[in-house]
Amino acid sequence: MKNQANPWLTSNLLVLGLGMLPAMLLVGALLYFTAWAFAFSFTDLALVGRKAVEWSWVGFENYERLFTRRGFLESLWTTVIFVFFSAIVGQSVLGFLLAAALRGSASSIRSVVEVCIMLGWLLPDIVAAFLWSATTNQTGLINQLIVVPLGFPPINLINDYALPVVTIANIWKGTAWSYLLFSAALDSISREVVEAAKVDGATPFQRIWLVMLPIIRPHIATNMLFITIWTFTYFPLIFAMTGGGPGTQTQTLAVYLYLQSFSRGNLGYGSAISVAMLVIVGVLSLFYLRLLREPK
Amino acid sequence: MAEVSLRGIRKSYGNLEVVHGVDLDIASGEFVVFVGPSGCGKSTLLRMIAGLEPISGGEISIGGRVVNDVPSPQRGIAMVFQSYALYPHMSVYDNMAFGLKLAKTPKEEVDTRVREAARILQIEDYLDRMPKALSGGQRQRVAIGRAIVRNPQVFLFDEPLSNLDASLRAQTRIEIAKLHETLDATMIYVTHDQVEAMTLADRIVVLNAGRIEQVGTPLELYRNPVNTFVAGFIANQRMNFLDVTLDANRMLTNSPKLRQLIEGRAGVRTIGIRPEHVTLASPERADLTGTLAVIEQFGEYALAYVEIGTGDLMTIKLDGAPDLQLHQPIHMAIPSEALHLFDEAGRALR
Repeated sequence: MKNQANPWLTSNLLVLGLGMLPAMLLVGALLYFTAWAFAFSFTDLALVGRKAVEWSWVGFENYERLFTRRGFLESLWTTVIFVFFSAIVGQSVLGFLLAAALRGSASSIRSVVEVCIMLGWLLPDIVAAFLWSATTNQTGLINQLIVVPLGFPPINLINDYALPVVTIANIWKGTAWSYLLFSAALDSISREVVEAAKVDGATPFQRIWLVMLPIIRPHIATNMLFITIWTFTYFPLIFAMTGGGPGTQTQTLAVYLYLQSFSRGNLGYGSAISVAMLVIVGVLSLFYLRLLREPK
Repeated sequence: MAEVSLRGIRKSYGNLEVVHGVDLDIASGEFVVFVGPSGCGKSTLLRMIAGLEPISGGEISIGGRVVNDVPSPQRGIAMVFQSYALYPHMSVYDNMAFGLKLAKTPKEEVDTRVREAARILQIEDYLDRMPKALSGGQRQRVAIGRAIVRNPQVFLFDEPLSNLDASLRAQTRIEIAKLHETLDATMIYVTHDQVEAMTLADRIVVLNAGRIEQVGTPLELYRNPVNTFVAGFIANQRMNFLDVTLDANRMLTNSPKLRQLIEGRAGVRTIGIRPEHVTLASPERADLTGTLAVIEQFGEYALAYVEIGTGDLMTIKLDGAPDLQLHQPIHMAIPSEALHLFDEAGRALR
C-alpha cells in the first residue's frame, strides 16, 4: 500500500504535532518508567531511612550482587522451572490438546468444557490463591476426600510440594488463554487440507505433527511469547498462595523483586533485578519473534 | 485402473437420510461425472467413495474389493479438492511427495514420480515454490499432480474448477480431458456445472435430493431426458416447459400442431421445448406465436424471451444476430421430433 497521508495534515505542523501528542505522552510515560528503573539500578536508593533521601551512585555494584549474593540466581532457576512447567508444558500443551480434542466434538460438550476452563481464568488471582491454599493444606479438600479415606496420613501439600502445587494452580488458571488461541488457530485450518493428508495416508498423529502444527506455527509462537512473558513476571497467585516460601522454594523473580524492594527496602537492588528481568524477557521475545517469521 | 461399484449406498446424519440407496457401476477407465444442484448428495457420495465419510448402508467396491471398512489411503484413490487443499507450509515438490514419503517410498522413486507428474502438468519450474506464490490455476495443477504421483486406481475430483475464473476453467477443463486420455484412469468427477458434465463425461450421473435421476452419455441425457428435472438441468439454455392444463385453451388455439400432439397422447401434462430447436417462421407456417419481451444479443447467437400468454417467458435461441423489435409478434416453428412430453409426475412419455 502506498503511503497517502492527507495533504492538509502533512502541510500543517501544528495539527501534526497535536495529533501526535497522545502517542508521544504514552511513549514518554513508558520510557520514563523504564529509564527510572534503569537509572536507579545504579544507586543504593532505599525505600525508607537515610538512603531514601541521600542515595548515591554505586556503579555496577547492584548488578554484581545479582551474581555474587545468594537469591537472584536461585530465584531465576525457580522462575525458569515455574515458566517451563506451568506455561510452556502445562498451559500450552494442555491448551492445545484440549483444543484439538474438542475440535469437532458436539457443541454442548464443547460449551461445558469451555465454561469450566474459563472459570479458572475469570476468577480473581487472590480468590484463586485462597481456594488453592484451602484445597491443598493439611485439612483441605484433597486430604479429606482422597488421602485420608485411602488410609494415608494427611499431607500438607502446599507446604511439602509448594512449587508443584503453585505450578498446577497456574496451569489451571492460565490454560484458558492457550485453549482459546489454539482453538481459533485450529478452526482456521481448512478441513480439506486435513482430509488431503488423510487421503495421503497420514496417521492422526502425523496429521497433527506434520500438517496442523506447522500450519499454526505462527500462532504457537505468539502464544509462547505471551504466556512466557506473563508467567515470567507473574506475581499475585504465587505471592498470595505461598509468599515465596516455604523458605525460598517458590520464590520466583517477581516475588524476589517484591521482597527485596518492599520488604527489605532495597529499591536500587530491586531496580537492578527488574532490569535483569527485562533483559531476559527481551531475549526470549527475540527468540519467539524469529519463530514467527515465515520460512523462506 | 479399476472399476467402481456402488450397491444400495445410503447416508444418514442422525435421522436425516441424505443419500437414499444409490446403485451404480463405473467401468475401468471410465470418466463419470456426478452432477446435480447443491445439496443433492453428489459430494457426499464422492466422499464416501474416498473414505472420508462413513457409509450408513450399502457396499462400495473398488477393483472388485469391498472397501467399506478400508481406510482412505488403502483404497487406491486420490482426491482433488475444490479448495486445492495444498499444504501451505510445504513447497510444491513436498506437497506432491508427501504421500509417497509417508508410504516410505525410496527417495529416488519419489523424485522420479514427482518430476514425471510435474512434467505432465508443466509445473516443473515451480517445484521449489510455496503454494501461496502460485496462481489459482497453478495451485490446481499441483493438487492434480499430488493425485497423479500416488498412481491411484481411481481419481476423485470434488468440484475442482469452481474456484477458477471462467477462462481458466475452460482451459483446465480441456487439460483434465487430456489427462484422462493420457493416464487412462478411472475418474469420478463432481460438479454442479452442467457444461463440465457435458464436456468431460463418458457418462453423466444426474443426482437430485439423494437419488439418481438418470445415468447416461451426455447425448443420451440431452436427447432423451427421463424427466423434467434432467431435461431442465442438462443443456446450456434451460428447456422451456409449457404447462398443458394451465393454458390449454390459449396455447392450443394458438397452435393446431401442439393440440394434435397432446390430444393424441393420454396423460400429457407438460411439453418441453429446447430453445435451440425453435426457429422463426412465417405467420401461416407458425406453430406458436407470441410477442418479444426481451432479447439478448451474443453476436454468434441471440436469446429471445417471448411472451406467449402463459405467464412465463419462452426462451428461444436464434443463430446470428436477428433483427427483431421488442413488443412485435414472433412466429415460431417447432419440429415435432424436438418436443418432449412429460406426464403429471414429470416423467417423460415416449
